[in-house]
Amino acid sequence: MTESTPLAVELRGITKRFPGVVANKDIELRVARGEVHAIVGENGAGKSTLMKTLYGMHRPDEGQILVDGREVHLRSPNDAIAAGIGMVHQHFMLADNFTVLENIVLGSEPTKGGRLDRATARRRIAEISDSYSLGLEPDSLVEDLGVGDRQRVEIAKVLYRGATILILDEPTAVLVPQEVDELFGNLAELKREGLTVIFISHKLDEVRKVADSITVIRRGTTVGTADPRTTTARQLAEMMVGAELPTPATRDSTVRETPVLRIDHLTVPGAPGSRAAVDEVSMTVREGEVVGIAGVEGNGQSELIDAILGLRVPSAGSVVLGDEDITAWSTRQRREGGVGFIPEDRHRQGMLLDAPLWENRILGHQTRPPAVKGAFIDRKAAREDTARIMREYDVRAPGPNTPAVALSGGNQQKLIVGREMSAHPRVLLAAHPTRGVDVGAQSVIWELLKDARAEGLGIVLVSADLEELIGLSDTLHVMLRGQLVATVDPRQVTPEELGGYMTGGHEATPAGAA
Amino acid sequence: MTLVRRVGTLLLAPALAVAIAVVISAVVMGLLGVSPVQVLKVMVDLGDTPSQQITAVVAILNRALPLFLAGLAVAIGFRMSLFNIGVEGQYRMATIVAATIGAAVALPKPLHVALIIVVGMAVGAIWAGIVAVLKVTRGVSEVISSIMLNFIALGLASYLLTGPFRGSPEGASIVSTAQIPESGRLGGLNGVFDVLGLANPPRQLYGFLVFAVLVGVGVWVLLQRTRFGFDLRATGLSPSAASASGVDARRMVVKTMLLSGAVAGLVGLPDLLGRTYEYSSDFTSGLGFLGIAVALLGRNNPGGIALAAILYAFLDRASVPLQSASLPSSVVTIIQGTIVLAVVVANEIAGRITRRAAERASRQSSGPPPEDSMTTRTIPGVVSEGTP
Amino acid sequence: MRRVRGMKAAALLLAGSMALAACASDEDSSSSGSGSSGGSSASSGDLQIGLAYDTGGRGDKSFNDSAYAGVEAAIKDLGGNVTELTPNADASNRVDLLTQLADDGNNPVIAVGFAFADALAEVAPQYPDTQFAVVDSSVEGTGLDNVTGLLFAANEGSFLGGVAAALKSESGHIGFVGGVESPLIQEFEAGYVAGAQAAKPGIVIDRQYISPNGDFSGFSDPAKGKILAQGMFQSGADIVYHAAGGSGQGVFEAASEAGGRAIGVDSDQYETVGDPALQAVIMTSVLKRVDNAIQGYLTDYSEGSISGGTDEVNDLESGGVGLSTSGGQIDDIKTQIDDYTQKIVSGDIEVPTTP
Repeated sequence: MTESTPLAVELRGITKRFPGVVANKDIELRVARGEVHAIVGENGAGKSTLMKTLYGMHRPDEGQILVDGREVHLRSPNDAIAAGIGMVHQHFMLADNFTVLENIVLGSEPTKGGRLDRATARRRIAEISDSYSLGLEPDSLVEDLGVGDRQRVEIAKVLYRGATILILDEPTAVLVPQEVDELFGNLAELKREGLTVIFISHKLDEVRKVADSITVIRRGTTVGTADPRTTTARQLAEMMVGAELPTPATRDSTVRETPVLRIDHLTVPGAPGSRAAVDEVSMTVREGEVVGIAGVEGNGQSELIDAILGLRVPSAGSVVLGDEDITAWSTRQRREGGVGFIPEDRHRQGMLLDAPLWENRILGHQTRPPAVKGAFIDRKAAREDTARIMREYDVRAPGPNTPAVALSGGNQQKLIVGREMSAHPRVLLAAHPTRGVDVGAQSVIWELLKDARAEGLGIVLVSADLEELIGLSDTLHVMLRGQLVATVDPRQVTPEELGGYMTGGHEATPAGAA
Repeated sequence: MTLVRRVGTLLLAPALAVAIAVVISAVVMGLLGVSPVQVLKVMVDLGDTPSQQITAVVAILNRALPLFLAGLAVAIGFRMSLFNIGVEGQYRMATIVAATIGAAVALPKPLHVALIIVVGMAVGAIWAGIVAVLKVTRGVSEVISSIMLNFIALGLASYLLTGPFRGSPEGASIVSTAQIPESGRLGGLNGVFDVLGLANPPRQLYGFLVFAVLVGVGVWVLLQRTRFGFDLRATGLSPSAASASGVDARRMVVKTMLLSGAVAGLVGLPDLLGRTYEYSSDFTSGLGFLGIAVALLGRNNPGGIALAAILYAFLDRASVPLQSASLPSSVVTIIQGTIVLAVVVANEIAGRITRRAAERASRQSSGPPPEDSMTTRTIPGVVSEGTP
Repeated sequence: MRRVRGMKAAALLLAGSMALAACASDEDSSSSGSGSSGGSSASSGDLQIGLAYDTGGRGDKSFNDSAYAGVEAAIKDLGGNVTELTPNADASNRVDLLTQLADDGNNPVIAVGFAFADALAEVAPQYPDTQFAVVDSSVEGTGLDNVTGLLFAANEGSFLGGVAAALKSESGHIGFVGGVESPLIQEFEAGYVAGAQAAKPGIVIDRQYISPNGDFSGFSDPAKGKILAQGMFQSGADIVYHAAGGSGQGVFEAASEAGGRAIGVDSDQYETVGDPALQAVIMTSVLKRVDNAIQGYLTDYSEGSISGGTDEVNDLESGGVGLSTSGGQIDDIKTQIDDYTQKIVSGDIEVPTTP
């Protein structure tokens, strides 16, 4: 890596402490100009902290940052932009009701006589779009764009500000495989034009495909660099976690004959004037069966889960739990009847962030022991049971009185899983159960789901993680525009094939319904 | 968390607020050319004779009573993120109807008083219920509808007072309802002073105090200890999480508003049952709005609201002796305003401090995952196996 | 989360408005503070007067100021000093005001406004050695033998106001803006209407109140007063009489903008309004000589001729009510005014008290 030209970015001994914890320690990073450099590490390893340091969102306590061989002091993102560093966030920061052009120039608008100079903006955006093959249409509304397009707008936004070093934070997390390929094409263009890309990910195959060099971070520090051409994904992964790796794959089928949840031609209306959010969906979940639902986000999975839980009123169809038609039941009745729920957004639907853990233990189980005694909350029992969940499900927190907000995502999720499992549900609705949790928590959650399945629990699994879907599911449906368009055999399907179904690229050919 | 620390975090915000308010008020007073020390001296001087001192205490408690009830009513809404600005109209309607019905019936004493209280609560609840129904059926913001209902209550009360509910003779300078007979009045608590061997001034401590304390305890138990209270607070913390947990949000809105309105219906009763025995065009107004400030100050907690109401009443009382001492009584308003402001700021700061402390604690307890906990759950296989 | 932020915003708004209210009311009380010290430095006679204002306190250019003027005049003649107290915003501490004044040894204690009636009923018996007076409230039949009621025949003064308006109106269309639709203000309306109809039968009279009874904002809402008066001027009225306390300012503004004229109330508003543009439209004011009544009461008190338990009615005969002539706009109709005055005093005309 020693070249005559100076490195685009070099970090020397970066250390960043937060009260009580060292987030980054002695980070060493050397990124050559014109390369795609991947930074890999499990969630919570310190990647985000490091990138925030590099983007000027906070200042390191120790160490140096060198850009193009010169030391820089980044006090704010503006300093970083001035130094040519731009960041594409994982969660897009675009104004939906603005056009692509407006979004790109927002914050650094070219003006002529106090008014937005659209002509100049349009010309520059066209240049950027052409030279990096971004294929932007300046006048489209962002709300009409797909995820991949939005990401290209974000990239263009950074380029428009003159960045020569781009930080991409988990850019593939929101993309289906086909879109990932397009993104990699864009990255190649950027590289060809001499730009430097720092690519943060924990998806090792992608990293190996796109990166020119790799730096691995574990527990806040750099543990080494790797050459993607000579390192296997497994070796990388083991560097990442310092141990052997978990897998979602289930080996033996535990599916029994008795159905626990039957959904029959369920239809949920969408927003007024648009198509149904869930369109005549029928499926059956049997005891001990994991029924996976694959789909690009926004194709009705959330609405389907909501409808099963009673949060949305279906316009047609029925939901049957065991032998009982629960279509007209309230959410509380369904919860009492044995429907467990791991929400896709735990902050929105799963937790009271400002409440202590023991109150979060009660949430969703307000009417059942150990939470209540008659009309009263049984605080003592709830606390004790929370302590038990923390022990059994490895929730790391000081105690049941800790506010939930103080926990990491993984620990919050383990509490939710523990809480739901403790109620011994008949059906579990698990939406993205391992989203945003670290590898350790992920494997714990997978194991828990597998154990519960073996004991006869029926699980509806919605996930964007295709590995997870393929690995855990006994039956795998593909949802597109509110309909179940395909049922595939998880033992045979590849993520690429699945991605094809998800985007409507394949014909809906049932491939061996299990 | 130890008890000391829990109490410490509980008191952090109020202590901060008082400190901030004292500093700002002192600066403002300095700018006005008023000596803060002198103001403080006048404020804490309750009088020369024991009788005057007890009178001052009674004045403070009697003033605090409706403020406490108003604060409680507002806080019940706040706890589930409902902004019941309509306490003003709710207690106005409740008081006039309770006064009229109280004057119209003849019952044995405890029943008569109980009837008046029940009517007050029912009318308050109904008036608040309108807000709830509009919200759940039509999606009208409770802020808007409760403000509008305040105006309607004002007009309606005026109409009723000058029309069907009028009890005062034609041409009397103050229009009022008929007087509640002796059996519907609530005696004072001044006997307590005799028992304690204190001076017994002519000013009567409202007997409603006992009932208000019971209501305060009741609301606290309901909110903090019952399933219903849990559902209510959960909805306040996160409506989406509460619905997912099985709380029927719409029903909760109705129940909460009814409860809040019922408590609001009590606001005018200490005065009605203990002093005026009638509703008149001169009946104290504005308590509902003060209740918002008191609820904020008391952090929506019944105990805190009681303290806040007493603090407010204490400051209010000071406005008279301050004028008597040729000091501007507006410093009272300045201090009251500053305290509300300071509470908002202090809550924010204290919230951040405790949150950070909790985060630090949980980070330490989780820390970097210990080596063995990673390896106990190793599962053979490789992440990338599925992909060629 | 958004909700919480909304609440914070509301709290800030609330606190801000309270601070503003404090600033606004500060002028009054600071002037009251200096006033009281001014009073005490004037002389050190025997009179130690306690003065409890109605809501708003001194500086209202009307009722409370008039009361202070009476006290001031009495002190000039008799010596003594005055302690002034103003109730809090919701006027819930009237009892405290009176208690404080009596406790401090003030005697007599004067309460400005009928709203003190209940408070007096509570406090006066506790201080049998203190004499109290209350403006606008009758004490006869209440059994309070140390309280004197200072009453005004506001209907008689308003009658003359009605006469003046009717005689000076060119369009044959006049108006009345009341502050709060209470019996007290209805008396003004009744006299005004009777006077106008007596002087010009068939005259059109618009009558409106700013707020209903029980809502006292009508006395301090110039914006609404202005709107009501504007409506009257637009519909053809050329003279509008207000009995609306501080809201009268809006009536004057409306008159000035519409090229009409207005009749003030209580004190000689031609003298007190302060703004030359508004002064020009104030044709006359229906005087309610609270100052005279209080001065008279204090004089009687100093002479030891106050017995308490009685009402003193201030009417046209005693000069307690009347019309102001500052500005000279009604000089041309002086004979007719005097004529009606005579008829009322002699009892030929009985002025109604309710509309």
